[in-house]
Amino acid sequence: MSTMTGTGSTGSTSYDSAAAEAGRGRGLRLSGMNWLVWRQHRAAYWTLLAAAAVTVAVLVYQRQQMITYLDGYGYPHLKSGWEEKFDQKPLNAAAGLLGLLPVVIGVLLGPPLLAGDLETGTAKLVNAQSVSRVRWLATKLGMTTLVVVVCATAVSAAFTWWWSPVKSTSYVLTWAEPGAFDNSGPVPVALTLLTVVGGVAIGMLLRRTLLAMVVTLGFAVALQVAWSYVRTSLGNVITVTSHNGVGDNSQPNLPDNAYVLDEFYLTASGDLMGWGSCAEATEKARNACLDEAQVVGWSVDYIPFSQMASMQWLGASILLALTAGIAAFVILWGRKRLV
Amino acid sequence: MMSYETGYGGPAETSAIEARGVGRKYRRGWALRDCSFRLPAGRICGLVGPNGAGKTTLMAIAANLLAPTTGTLRVFGAAPESAEATRRTAFLAQEKPLFRRFTVAETLRMGRELNPGWDQRAAEDIVRAGNVPLDAKIGTLSGGQRTRVAFAVSFGKRPDLLLLDEPMSDLDPLVRHELMGTLLAEAAERGTTVLMSTHMLAELENTCDYLLVIAGGRLRMAGEVDELRTSHAVLTGVHSDGRTPPELAYHTVVETRTSGRQFTSLIRPDGPVAGGPWEASTPNLEELLLAYLRSPEAPPLISPSSYVAPQAVAA
Repeated sequence: MSTMTGTGSTGSTSYDSAAAEAGRGRGLRLSGMNWLVWRQHRAAYWTLLAAAAVTVAVLVYQRQQMITYLDGYGYPHLKSGWEEKFDQKPLNAAAGLLGLLPVVIGVLLGPPLLAGDLETGTAKLVNAQSVSRVRWLATKLGMTTLVVVVCATAVSAAFTWWWSPVKSTSYVLTWAEPGAFDNSGPVPVALTLLTVVGGVAIGMLLRRTLLAMVVTLGFAVALQVAWSYVRTSLGNVITVTSHNGVGDNSQPNLPDNAYVLDEFYLTASGDLMGWGSCAEATEKARNACLDEAQVVGWSVDYIPFSQMASMQWLGASILLALTAGIAAFVILWGRKRLV
Repeated sequence: MMSYETGYGGPAETSAIEARGVGRKYRRGWALRDCSFRLPAGRICGLVGPNGAGKTTLMAIAANLLAPTTGTLRVFGAAPESAEATRRTAFLAQEKPLFRRFTVAETLRMGRELNPGWDQRAAEDIVRAGNVPLDAKIGTLSGGQRTRVAFAVSFGKRPDLLLLDEPMSDLDPLVRHELMGTLLAEAAERGTTVLMSTHMLAELENTCDYLLVIAGGRLRMAGEVDELRTSHAVLTGVHSDGRTPPELAYHTVVETRTSGRQFTSLIRPDGPVAGGPWEASTPNLEELLLAYLRSPEAPPLISPSSYVAPQAVAA
């Protein structure tokens, strides 16, 4: 009897000390599969979180620099002429660099997530324990998604905040172009998530980390190309016409910061002609061409700036639906065939 | 627990593994075909066969790492993918995979976090017996130390069925002896069923009381070691011009080898063997295994205690 008591107490002491040791240093105590996935990928997760923190700090600092300048022009009610000495370089450079992040994060974080375990055999080790494979896959995807969403949301919010004082003008970053559209609001989060989860699926199918990274790079670039075609078709195109001829100041009035998709000559019969179709060598020849075609004015297709937010959310929800589809595929496929 | 009739009227014990027509096909062809057997609970079973015979495939199916292409396999009456079966089964893969960047303590913690019945003390004891420091990274350990940690993870799970794929291949004789001792003591104490694939016939002789022999993806022999030995006989005699005595044909001949004027046959007697023109003896395990592995055309022998009907009978 006394022996049994002794054994029990020793056992619980060693367990308690181990538990205390594990919880030391961090307020949050993970357990079970969450602990394993965090421990296995903690280097990647901490790198991402630290990089996001530094990026946010830089973006916030840049915003302060810009606000200091704009204060000289009466921000938040900007006086005219603020554009003349405005330094566009930081915003343009940041937009260019941030645009690469979905590709970089997707290639570095996605493929190793499962391919690493399949390559080294540790998938067998984990699956020989008492936890189901669905749980394992779901935890891997879930924790990675959480870290990516936190990081991308923070960076996107900081960039949006920086750009917002000047975003309603067409002077700094065109809102419908990648630099602004893909780096603000929900779009960078969705683009990064889709690239990462796509990389996870590619890694699972190829079972080789390095090869999967190369293929994921191709996937990420293809996604960016496809997205560039989708972007403007997310909005409702508005067509406006004018009937004042095509001379100086004859263009129809557009709302501020409208994104012009295309301009056409409008003929008397209501047909549209490409605006380059009367590009003649002389003014006289050009007018003769216009008269012959009976051009009476302009027809302009544009998307107003007011649609930006709804376009971003529509696009992001399409990307997220694709992401969810791929994640479901990873779990269903992996449940049966992995290892 | 569940028990099954053995069909031949053997004792109705609990089956640790019960396979009915299990087969697994890869792109290159069948790795395992038409395997039907039962492994009674509480046995230490050796799984023997040449390289590529399908041993790892069979274990992987029992460990829920692979799904069989045909047939069904049950672990203590439950499907391998069921929560009950995964909890009761531990699998040590041949390459002993571990996370290289984890410390030994973290590796054991993984076992604790992922297994409800984890026995930290048993796992730590195995690690400490090899003087493996708990704070060492797995990547810095020697092959033998790593195997020891992998063993500790499998033992710590407190499984009812322990599947070991070539567990001792990279251990020195001393460590092998010590770990084998631990294994047998644990198994005896807790009634653990062990299925262990190995190439080392000497290891089998000392440890295993049950045997499964696979060659070419098919089950060649299954049963208790003593039962299998005593149901065979080695006959040694003099041949005349390469022809063995005609009386040999009354029995099922597994293999005949001649050297000089002598012939040696391993047979399955279909009647009394005494009195023929030969000396009869009971084969040892090594003779028996070598004969079966060398003669793929010999008819398989599934002993009553391991027999199941190939098709699943209605429950």
